[in-house]
Amino acid sequence: MKKALLIFRWELNKIFSNWHKTVTLFLLPAVLMMLALNVFPLLINYMSTGSFSKKPIVLVSAPTSFRDYVNETADANVYSYSYMSYGEFSEIYRDKNRLKDLMQGGTVLCFFAPGNNDDSFDNAVSDYYQKLLKGEKDAQSKAIIYLGFDINSLSGGLRAQQFRQGVLESYQNSLIDRLGGDYAAIGSNLFSTDSFNPVTKLMDNRTTADNSAAKIVPGMLLIMMYYCAYSLVSDMFASEKERGFWSKLIMTPVSSSAIFAGKIAAIIVIVSGATYLTTLLLFLSSWVNTGNDAMSLLPFGMMLTPTELIIVFLTVPFTVFVMTAACISTVFSLNKLQDITINLQLPLVLFLGDFFLQMFRGTRPMTLEYFIPMHNSLALISDAYMAQEKLWHVIVVLAVNTATALLVIRSVYKKEGLYDNR
Amino acid sequence: MITVKDIHKSYTKDTETIKGVSFEIGKGTIFGLLGPNGAGKTTLMQIIATLMKPTSGTVEIAGMSPDKDLLKIHKLLGFLTTEIKLDPVSTPDRLFDFFAELYDIPKDEIKNRKEKAFARFGITPFAGRRISELSTGMKQKISIAISLLHEPPIIIFDEPTNGLDILTSRQVTDYLKELRNEGRCIILSTHIFSVAEELCDEVAVLVDGKIVAQGTVDELTALTGEKNFEDAFFKIYVENHKEDQ
Repeated sequence: MKKALLIFRWELNKIFSNWHKTVTLFLLPAVLMMLALNVFPLLINYMSTGSFSKKPIVLVSAPTSFRDYVNETADANVYSYSYMSYGEFSEIYRDKNRLKDLMQGGTVLCFFAPGNNDDSFDNAVSDYYQKLLKGEKDAQSKAIIYLGFDINSLSGGLRAQQFRQGVLESYQNSLIDRLGGDYAAIGSNLFSTDSFNPVTKLMDNRTTADNSAAKIVPGMLLIMMYYCAYSLVSDMFASEKERGFWSKLIMTPVSSSAIFAGKIAAIIVIVSGATYLTTLLLFLSSWVNTGNDAMSLLPFGMMLTPTELIIVFLTVPFTVFVMTAACISTVFSLNKLQDITINLQLPLVLFLGDFFLQMFRGTRPMTLEYFIPMHNSLALISDAYMAQEKLWHVIVVLAVNTATALLVIRSVYKKEGLYDNR
Repeated sequence: MITVKDIHKSYTKDTETIKGVSFEIGKGTIFGLLGPNGAGKTTLMQIIATLMKPTSGTVEIAGMSPDKDLLKIHKLLGFLTTEIKLDPVSTPDRLFDFFAELYDIPKDEIKNRKEKAFARFGITPFAGRRISELSTGMKQKISIAISLLHEPPIIIFDEPTNGLDILTSRQVTDYLKELRNEGRCIILSTHIFSVAEELCDEVAVLVDGKIVAQGTVDELTALTGEKNFEDAFFKIYVENHKEDQ
């Protein structure tokens, strides 16, 4: 145990005394992932609109209530609005080329129709509330908000949906306060959230954000864990074998199991640390994404309960353990460093496939998936993000990964012809 | 101190790298394993050094078997090879301390041994520098200092002068003589005749995984009727090598 600890300290020292390695392992994957997540929506925005600026929304006949709402609401300010009268829009609508120019590049058109040409949108809504106040239970309003976008523009469609959910729904809820008059005063007001409280705001978005994150985060963490684990195994085992340093180490009066234990423990600690850091950065990335871009891979409001977070954090070291064991097996089954490096990188393709599968699948994992080493971690982390975790899943995943790792290391001993009492 | 009995080693089912090798080496002896590349020298050295298990046969070190007393054996063995490259980002100082701790050497004793070993090989001025910044010769000296820091009575040295310049090579051979005079048992593998002639008290010629001749350099030379050891080796080799191997 003492010797295993000595080797563990030595390996940690080696990593942390070399700033280049530390940065490569701890910051680079996290930063690259952050960049990928944040650049992706920007890139899509640029590809569809030709600019990095705010998302364009054209408002036709926008009522005063909406202009006031935009001025007062931060969430509504992530869009770039251009206002247009009904007359101006009619001219454009008649000229198909001008309409095409307007809609190209993902522009969303928001048209406020009062339902009666002689009236304004605000008056139509206000009249509706007056009718309700008078007890007309069957009262209806003809005021309608139309959303238009180019059906061929992916970003336009997504943006329209996002604008509807993120802005128009809140605006509609606010209308009773703005235009309800006496009807609002008699207590029919809808429950409104405290938009100044960031926690309330997070909670409002949490379910949607966590469900989206369940498609992205587990796969990303798995890729990152494997990248770090294989880099370290390559350094601590493959390179040392190649250099002959491994022989020097196992010639010391230290059991092979202590050497393996010390090195594997160092890998688990380093990779888990890097993964925890990345996980926290992913939360931060979600929380600062207040714009909640339609294309954003990490929507605003990602948040786990302490139990869910513990499950995610607990899954990490066990996953790293089995990944490390698999990498060690590769190192000891091949001789040339070049072959080892290529074979260590191959599973990254599998993890990438698993990542995309998870991203696009619409179903929850099957029971069998919890028994597949490494892939089961993806299923469990995904469950935690979707608040679908079960105790037996946690137990099975941790047990399967640990047992697989131990079996793989045992087979390395046998294949390598190491003495059993090492 | 070293007894090797009927060692066989196969990496695959069809080929045998070591084919029934046996010998004994006593205290204060330098035993040389001489053979061309691919003869099985390194495999045999690794088996003796307990780095790998033989397919069959036994190795005993100071009367102990690696199957039962592996860690005790490791305290008695020093294994050196020019192929060993030390961790490039470490310093000689840190490497020495690390290995000394692995060998359970008391802290105050580590300091004494380090000073002695570093002074012996002229490492002291470079003790705090990274291994990657040092010359090949210096790296080899550091490797020797670290491999022998536990003062083992048995030293296994695979190709001691391989890749070294003349000066470092001379320092290494002188050091091996010193160690022999201290009563240590040394087994080395080489394909350089001058090293074998200069250092070895006894030589075994390994051809295609088998020891085909064993004795002192003079005995082997006389046995073949050749004028010098190099010619004697070639005669032994040609007589015993099979082309299909």
